[in-house]
Amino acid sequence: MPCTRLSRRTLLAGLAAGVAAPAVLRATGARASDARIVVSSNFGPETAFQAVVDAFNAKGLGVAVENRFDGNYEEATAKTLAAVSAGRPPALMTTGWKFGYYAKRTLGARDLREIDAARAEALIGNFVPSVHTLVTVDDALIGVPWAMSTPITFINMEHWRAAGLDEAIPEEIDTDWLYERARALQAALGGGAHPSFRSPLALSNNEWTSQSFVQNAGGAVIDEAGAVGLARPESIAGMELFCVPAHEGLWIPVGSREQDAAFIAGALSIVTTSSTRVINYPQAAPFEVATTRFPGVPGRPRRMNSGGNFLAVYAREAEQAQAAMTFLEFCGSQEGQDLWSGVGYLNSSVHDVAAPTPLIAPAQAQLADGLTAETIWPGTRGFEAQNAWRNAVSRMLERVDPVPVAMARAQDEVAALIAA
Amino acid sequence: MDAADRRALSTAGLVAPAVLAVAAFLYLPIAASGLLAVLDYHPATQTFRFAGLANIAAVLGGDAFGRAAWNTLVYCLVLVPAQVLVPLALALGLREIAGSRTAPVYYACLFAPTLVSFSVAGAVWLPLLNPINGVLNEMLTALGLPPSRWHTDARAALWVVSLVAFWKTFGLNLVLWYAALMTIPKEQIEAARIDGAGFFRRVRDIDIPLASPTAFFILVTTVFTTLDDIVGIIDVLTGGGPFERTTNLPYLLWQRGLVFFQFGQASVIALVTIAIVAILTWVQFRFVERRVTYA
Repeated sequence: MPCTRLSRRTLLAGLAAGVAAPAVLRATGARASDARIVVSSNFGPETAFQAVVDAFNAKGLGVAVENRFDGNYEEATAKTLAAVSAGRPPALMTTGWKFGYYAKRTLGARDLREIDAARAEALIGNFVPSVHTLVTVDDALIGVPWAMSTPITFINMEHWRAAGLDEAIPEEIDTDWLYERARALQAALGGGAHPSFRSPLALSNNEWTSQSFVQNAGGAVIDEAGAVGLARPESIAGMELFCVPAHEGLWIPVGSREQDAAFIAGALSIVTTSSTRVINYPQAAPFEVATTRFPGVPGRPRRMNSGGNFLAVYAREAEQAQAAMTFLEFCGSQEGQDLWSGVGYLNSSVHDVAAPTPLIAPAQAQLADGLTAETIWPGTRGFEAQNAWRNAVSRMLERVDPVPVAMARAQDEVAALIAA
Repeated sequence: MDAADRRALSTAGLVAPAVLAVAAFLYLPIAASGLLAVLDYHPATQTFRFAGLANIAAVLGGDAFGRAAWNTLVYCLVLVPAQVLVPLALALGLREIAGSRTAPVYYACLFAPTLVSFSVAGAVWLPLLNPINGVLNEMLTALGLPPSRWHTDARAALWVVSLVAFWKTFGLNLVLWYAALMTIPKEQIEAARIDGAGFFRRVRDIDIPLASPTAFFILVTTVFTTLDDIVGIIDVLTGGGPFERTTNLPYLLWQRGLVFFQFGQASVIALVTIAIVAILTWVQFRFVERRVTYA
């Protein structure tokens, strides 16, 4: 019987083919002629965003998209800055609303109309007109406004029932209602009366929910004219109301990771945080979760703020920019939006997208009421201004400074930084 | 070319890669930092503008730098003695049980935290320290003690960061001390014991002098670690907060450079940090090394 001699070269070639074959088979969606683009995102491989990317790649439209998870908004922005400096920007980045000015004026986010005016108009037409202004900076259309959230209230219904509270939760609540329930929860479940209960309330110690309180009280962090409004009596009143539960011992201010972990573990009864948690909380928590609107300020009209991110194009080369537009068109389509809704953002498109969960209803109601933008920090030192405001919020919660003193100081610091 | 020239040339050839590496990755960045400190530069826009002393004034005139410098000093005053003396005490204890069946268990337990990175060390402690339902507070409550807010309490945060940094780093110094102590001839220790020297007398007059080269190495490297490496723990555990109560100079440098994108200010902080490290190292070599006994 003839026998082929196995040389070292043949063996290595065989091994290489064996290793490469699965990779080649996996990459059936991508072709050598495809334009390959990278999206710097805040979403890992297990998220609905990856599903959007995979569905797009499967279509074989001549563009292969790679989702690169780059951490939170700040981390992704820093990495993109480094990439822009090196002349290799990602084609797209999920950019936080709050970094809108920075994206346009410093990172060089492209005007979609400049890439392709007709495609840009068709693209933005997929989204409701009220969000167009959020992606319009210096008269340029700098992205696709597809990820919108707003802070709402999450309630652990097991605690609620254990404390004997009325299960009919109003659609609109204010701080009087919320703080009264927090006190009732503390009285009924505190001191070891409930095995998992540790604290009744968390309003989120950050610059976002504090902005909600300031605005609901009639004030402003930075108003529409660009003026810092922290020293206004309404803003001070809003922050005094924000600090009440912390000063009363009803709220232990912690970071978002600890807050989420404590709520999911059943240690916290009420949390006000991003509406995107409508996906994570019920999946992870072993108890019923209910939601309602963010608390308003008694006697004041509500003026809630939005949050989230937009998809902006940073590619400099024409082919990469056009490929990015092709992906954005899919993101704005009915199919793309159906997949994207799994992340838990509000539907800001004109498409009829099924709500991922009934828990998102309060956020949709707040969107229908009208949402202002998240504070967009202007100037070359805008990030420092945001940090100064965050520090001021923490100092007020810790009672390091009385609220009026801290607000006056924050006013001066923020005004100086955004004017620099 | 004679033999001496050839020898000199080959020596230069052998040394050149190291010299070039140090020049490219140490001195050149320092020089670039010096230049950036007087420029208003942004890497994305690639724009340069001469800023004069504006960056220096912005850094030294702000509250953040003073707080970070103070915090850095406190970290050093707490962590350097702790990371030198506690591992020494543990190494002395380990030497006493060397060869026993339980000794490897102690080695593994005490050295294990060293294997994780600084940021992972911070992440490991987060669930333990959660002020709402963390393991440590559950233990305190079970013992009838009041819970703490740990790293979220402005008064406690710096001490909590120090504790986690100590947990992460002491194992390496422990190994170094242990290795040095195990090289001391048993005959000398035995002779001292027969002569009536107690434990502490033996440590003071035999162990520490004979292990002094290692002690000096530990001191110098611990100062570096305390000044620089704990930034990973600060970032994960507190993010420099609450309101900058745990920010040290390297964290402030990172924040100014890669969060706020103020590269001129970050360069000023880098130069100040380099100067501090250089002065501290000089002081150590000038005043501490003379006490070192080289065999």
